[in-house]
Amino acid sequence: MAAAGRTHTSLRVTVTPASPPAQPVRRRPLRDNPWLVLLGIAGLIALLAGTMTLANRSSRLTPDFLSEFVLYALSVVDLTMLVALGFVLARSVIKLLVERRRALPFARFRAKLVTVLLAMTLVPAVLVLLVGSELIKNNVDRWFTAQMDETLASAQRIASDYYHERQRQVSDEAARVARSLASLDLTRPDVGPVRDVVAPVVNDQRAGLIEVYRLPRGKEPAGTLVAVVDVASPTMPIGAIRLSSDRLAMRATSDQPDSWLREPLESGGELIRAASPVRRPDGAVSGVVVASVHLTGDMAVRARRITKAYESYSQLRVLKQPLTGVYLSFFLMVTLMILVGATWMGLYLAKRITRPVHALAAAAREIGAGHFEHRVERETADEFGALVDAFNSMADELAANRRRLERSTVDLEQKHTEVEKRRRFTEAILERVATGVVTIDEAGFITTINPAALRLLGLGASVVGQAAAVVFNEPDLQPLAVFAQPRGIDAKDPPAQELSLTRDGREVALAVASTRLHSDDGGSDGRVLVVDDITPLIRAQKVAAWREVARRLAHEIKNPLTPIQLCAQRLQRQFSTAPGHVKALVDECTTTIVGEVESLKSLVDEFSQFARMPAPRRESTDVHELLRRVLVLYDGLFEHVRLETLFAVDLPRVRLDPDQIRRVIINLVDNAIEAINQQGQVVVETQHDPGTSLVRIVLADDGPGIAPADREKLFMPYYSTKKRGSGLGLAIVRRVVAEHDGTIEVGENQPRGTRFTIELPCEPEGPIVTGAA
Amino acid sequence: MTSGRLLAIVLALLVLEGADAPRSSEVSAFARDGRVYVSCTFAASTLDELGEAIHAGLTTSITYDVDLRRPLWWFTRTLASSAVVASVRHDTLTGRYQLTRTIDGRNEDSLVTDDQNAVKKFLTTFARLPLFSSAELEANVEYTVRLRVRTRPRVRWFLWPWESSTAAGTARFTFIP
Repeated sequence: MAAAGRTHTSLRVTVTPASPPAQPVRRRPLRDNPWLVLLGIAGLIALLAGTMTLANRSSRLTPDFLSEFVLYALSVVDLTMLVALGFVLARSVIKLLVERRRALPFARFRAKLVTVLLAMTLVPAVLVLLVGSELIKNNVDRWFTAQMDETLASAQRIASDYYHERQRQVSDEAARVARSLASLDLTRPDVGPVRDVVAPVVNDQRAGLIEVYRLPRGKEPAGTLVAVVDVASPTMPIGAIRLSSDRLAMRATSDQPDSWLREPLESGGELIRAASPVRRPDGAVSGVVVASVHLTGDMAVRARRITKAYESYSQLRVLKQPLTGVYLSFFLMVTLMILVGATWMGLYLAKRITRPVHALAAAAREIGAGHFEHRVERETADEFGALVDAFNSMADELAANRRRLERSTVDLEQKHTEVEKRRRFTEAILERVATGVVTIDEAGFITTINPAALRLLGLGASVVGQAAAVVFNEPDLQPLAVFAQPRGIDAKDPPAQELSLTRDGREVALAVASTRLHSDDGGSDGRVLVVDDITPLIRAQKVAAWREVARRLAHEIKNPLTPIQLCAQRLQRQFSTAPGHVKALVDECTTTIVGEVESLKSLVDEFSQFARMPAPRRESTDVHELLRRVLVLYDGLFEHVRLETLFAVDLPRVRLDPDQIRRVIINLVDNAIEAINQQGQVVVETQHDPGTSLVRIVLADDGPGIAPADREKLFMPYYSTKKRGSGLGLAIVRRVVAEHDGTIEVGENQPRGTRFTIELPCEPEGPIVTGAA
Repeated sequence: MTSGRLLAIVLALLVLEGADAPRSSEVSAFARDGRVYVSCTFAASTLDELGEAIHAGLTTSITYDVDLRRPLWWFTRTLASSAVVASVRHDTLTGRYQLTRTIDGRNEDSLVTDDQNAVKKFLTTFARLPLFSSAELEANVEYTVRLRVRTRPRVRWFLWPWESSTAAGTARFTFIP
């Protein structure tokens, strides 16, 4: 924007970036330099003035000069103008065609402007040219009239006749004197006879001067003439030129037809001289007579003036066409100058007018293309300058808005990224969390449901988009129907409820809570159902209760057992000497008492053990190795039991208490062998679930299986399907597994039997254990 | 009248101006004694156009531009050029003609006469003028003498400023030393 403060009239408008980086300054075109334009206009005016001056002075120039040099110069100028005009027009037409083909803006406008200006100039200029040409022709024709022709021709003829008369007169006198001297010997020293012949002619003023020459003789140089005598009238000017008469005399001796001459004198007069050879009777030339007459200065001057006027007139008539051409060329030159000037001015004005608009249009396209830093250079203080300022202001505003928009876009993108990140985080949580989450929109349709909810509620992913009332209308989900009922905005959320559902024959305890989603405008966006599986919690609560019961029971029962046992043993010792049947009875009774007490102690010890389960001492353990060491204990013990292993490949190590887990495995294997009645197949299988980072240990038998209703009860303390048993085995197993942050489930084995599945968390990025079947 | 129409008229005038073909003239040339002699007889009818100019007292000249050329394949090389100018000045008072002939600016001949036939012959004819040296010519090679005639003054209006030949002629000769 270096030129923003310029005040000159040039209107060069360029599109330059407003950004600070310096760019090479473009040179101003010559046509945009005001001084050059003014200089050109001044040159044109000077040329016109010179032309006018030349036209004014043309009357003083000779027709010959006008018709040759001036006409030549004018013709050159005219042709140059014609070529310039043709060039300008052809260039304009070609540019117009090219611009129209390229669909450049303002091409038509420029063409129209130039055409209008040219037409406005062409019509009057050509009219002036035609009318002026006709006027010139008429005026030139008027120069030559018959009267003028006759007058000048007559005057010239009079002057010419006078000259011819005098020339004939002097020629006749010369011839007459020559004939008179034919009989005289011109070589004689006595020239008296010759003078006697000549003097009367001079005296009678038939000639002003008579000169007589003779041919050389003897040793006189040949080729020359010897003056014999000359007789001059007193009216003859003194010092008449002798040389010309000698030359004329010599010419007369050679019989040349041109035997007279006209000789101007310094005094202003003229001499008309004629020579005639003197021939002897035998025809030989013996001398020459030169007769001269004097024309006074006035007479000669008048004759010359008449002749000059006639010649000038005749030359004008001869050069009538070229002279007419001179003046026509003047007109043509001025006309062409006007046309060239008008064309150039039209182009110049068109460019001056359209260029800033074109630059604005181009800049608008640039800005439209996103180049907001483009600006139009302001070079004038007129309306175009104001337009350029307004455009640049608009561009500034657009650029500022664009920057703000870009900043907003960046912020929005960042926020979007954050939201997306949060969404993915939330989705990941919802995907992995054990709590089921179901969202229901205001219309009562399920919008999202996470895998935990699907698993807990036993639903498929297709429920998304279905009406919650329909989905929860299933018999087993009926307790949830209350949450699917549409509620008003002001209605309170139903309180959290604990529900019990049956899934795969197992009773699942769920805690369900509903929370309303509030929109920004205070309205409702639906609800969120949160479903928690509280079955482990309830189990833990039950176990804790049973442990407390066991602890109290053990304490209350164990205390009297020892006295009872001691009393029984004392009775046995006291009655050792009693009669046989008494002793037998006492022994039998005390033995029974002691045995039962021992049984009770064992039972109490188990209760104590259940109540005082020690915390597991975990260590990184190869599960396969642990299983092998356990299973090797059963080798050869049961003839009809097949113990098979299906170990997974690449099973990770697990941090666990090997002793506790070994007891768990032994308990489960014992139960399985007992369940199949020591005849059948027991399969020990390991699995790895990388998605949940869990290691599964599955023990399956092909026994009669367990009824679904009894499966959950298996892990309850003091519940046993065996005739003998404390019912604490599986309770302890579940407790041990739970202490290892794992789970144990019981299910139906296919095609028959029971299948216990223990899930234990594997070590994070723990070493991989290569499995073996 | 549009500018295009005006341009067409001007172009037509130019074409007509240029279409004035030069008239022929008789030219002969030969080499002898180390010089190339050229003779020419120009169509005397041209003088009819110049007669008025001559009798109006205008110095009238006829310029003969003579080129000695050698054909070379499709081209012709100009070896030397010479200008013979015959001019006449008529004294309308005495009715006599002053004739002058120059060769390359050198005064070659002059004559004062009132005989119009002599004037016509002087202006339109020149015989055996030694215009070129034959020292540089190759023996037994054919040469061409081209002659173009220009007249002064120009008594017509001309839009084309560059003068065209009024007449032209050529002569061939073989240089035999």
